[in-house]
Amino acid sequence: MTSKVCIEINNLTKRYKSSEEDSLKNINLTIHSGDKFGILGPNGAGKTTLISIICGIISSNGGNIKYFDKDKEINLKTFRKKIGFVPQEYAFYQELTPNQNLEYFGALYNLSKKEIKSRSEKLLHLLGLSKVSDKKVQIFSSGMKRRINLAIGIIHEPTILFLDEPTVGVDVQSKNAIIEFLNKINREGTTIVYTSHHMTEAEEFCKSIALLDNGKLIACDDMKNLLNLHKAPSLESLFINLTGEEYRDYV
Amino acid sequence: MYKFWSSIKKEIYLLINDKVGIAFMFIMPLLLVVIITIIQDSAFKLAKENKISILIINHDKGIHGEKLIKLLKESGFFDVEQNNDIPKNKIKKELLNQDKLTALYITPEFSSQLDDKTNQVSNIMIEELGLKDSSEINNDIKLPSLNFYHDPVLQESYYYTIVNVIYSFLNAIESSMMVENFCQGMGFKKMPVRLEEIIKSNKININIISATSSDNKIIPNSTQHNVPAWTIFAMFFMVVSLGNNIVKERSNGSFIRLKTLPVSFALVLSSKMLIYLLAAILQVVVIFSVGIFLFPLMNLPQLVLPSNIFALFIIVLISGLSAVSYALLIGSLAKTQEQANGFGAVSIIIFAVLGGIWVPIFILPEYLKLISNFSPLHWCLEGFYILFLKGGVWSELFKIILPLSIFIVFCQLITYFKLKVEKII
Repeated sequence: MTSKVCIEINNLTKRYKSSEEDSLKNINLTIHSGDKFGILGPNGAGKTTLISIICGIISSNGGNIKYFDKDKEINLKTFRKKIGFVPQEYAFYQELTPNQNLEYFGALYNLSKKEIKSRSEKLLHLLGLSKVSDKKVQIFSSGMKRRINLAIGIIHEPTILFLDEPTVGVDVQSKNAIIEFLNKINREGTTIVYTSHHMTEAEEFCKSIALLDNGKLIACDDMKNLLNLHKAPSLESLFINLTGEEYRDYV
Repeated sequence: MYKFWSSIKKEIYLLINDKVGIAFMFIMPLLLVVIITIIQDSAFKLAKENKISILIINHDKGIHGEKLIKLLKESGFFDVEQNNDIPKNKIKKELLNQDKLTALYITPEFSSQLDDKTNQVSNIMIEELGLKDSSEINNDIKLPSLNFYHDPVLQESYYYTIVNVIYSFLNAIESSMMVENFCQGMGFKKMPVRLEEIIKSNKININIISATSSDNKIIPNSTQHNVPAWTIFAMFFMVVSLGNNIVKERSNGSFIRLKTLPVSFALVLSSKMLIYLLAAILQVVVIFSVGIFLFPLMNLPQLVLPSNIFALFIIVLISGLSAVSYALLIGSLAKTQEQANGFGAVSIIIFAVLGGIWVPIFILPEYLKLISNFSPLHWCLEGFYILFLKGGVWSELFKIILPLSIFIVFCQLITYFKLKVEKII
């Protein structure tokens, strides 16, 4: 990989107060600008924890993360201005319309009213929500809500977009629309970091992946390299090879 | 400032869309203040203007029973209906059948027994003066009695008031008889007319004075009591709307999303507080307007605002801030919207009961009076009453502002630590 590094993670460890085990154990990985980076793993692997630490939502217990902007290391505060975050939850106001939501979050990113208006129109059009832009979100389907969630995360045109399970619980049409849109903004230069446990979707979408299992990083490389290295016909078989068949859910 | 105003705008949208919250904050208290004031006002009028309906059955064989009935009729307190044909054993049934609340039965021996009693007293007085031998005094007398019946639904305090009024008239008759007997015992044929006139007319006047701190002309009435009380209740009921609002944002990840945005959480929270504080002020304006403009049209006493409008504004502000802080606390502690709704609403009702909104604090037992000091509604209500009923001054208001300020700081600190623990701040 010759492109510039945008995130470098060294020996990252996390243990929640309520837990007796580390949720993340000595994670080392690097994310490059322009990449479509998938953080994959079974339930409870530590995907959301990792993405939350990178975005500064929670703190780690050990290790460090370096953020870069055009080869220059920057702090988390500056980094936040450059990122978009799309959480797994519908983290917006369902009592409001898509336009009102975008207006609010756009203002928090300090976008002017004019910028918010033009970007909202463009985004809602691309995500197939133009006709419902003034209807309350609470009457929308799951797929529409996911697309609103995504639109809010990219209203400020971030250089890095973090998505936590962006296609969970949506129909094929919405999933395709979201993936198509993500490919489009990636082609335009946005680095995408996303978590998922849909292997087929990840195989189609990601250039690079990091496989997590029980808080450990068990593989991290370019997708093709990994498949070739493990002689796996698909990401799903690679995943099963590396993580096993056992259930990972635990309380 | 741009981000702040955007947050304000968003909060306005959310509040407007919260139909249930608005109903709790505006419609419910408006209905309560109107209904409770009408009820209390009619009770007040019942005592003051309406006559108490009483059925009298006079089986007295003498003249004193009729004397008593005459006095009760002349007093203007009672609407007397006399029916001497009802037998004693059917009075209860008749009372309920005639839909009367009270009845007075005058026994056949009432006059003779009253004569005996007053004779005994006047004879003792004459004996003390050495004008009569004690052997002439009859000590074996039976005290006169009356039977007072009441509908079981009647409140104890209400029928005791009626009984006391009857007592006062009996005392008047008794006193007059004793003086008359005494006069006769002293050798007069009849009580001197001058003395009789004095006994009839020489009543002691009791001046009723409201203990206000200034010479304001506000007359305490059901409106002056109820409008401020239910306004405070309405303010604190914002816990349903604001508490829910916070729980929703905590649970749907909006607060978490804010952590990835270049914005301070304090800005978002302060915009929320400002909007709800403005909503609280709007509640005051709406409910007070009803008291000022609508109540007179409904034949209810008009709300009279205190002369010190600035002090009123300060009390409204600190009461509103207390309500907002409490709603923030509930919103940060509750795990679900159901918890915020249930606990929030029930706690406000308990605070209201303890705080004197529903029943006056002076009727509470001592230990509850002590507990009422922990109700923020109690301090808010005291603040309003100081202004509305007691014509209060700043020194008295500061005694209210201090505990409310402590309450506000307490709620805000707990909210801060809870959100800190949840890694939202």
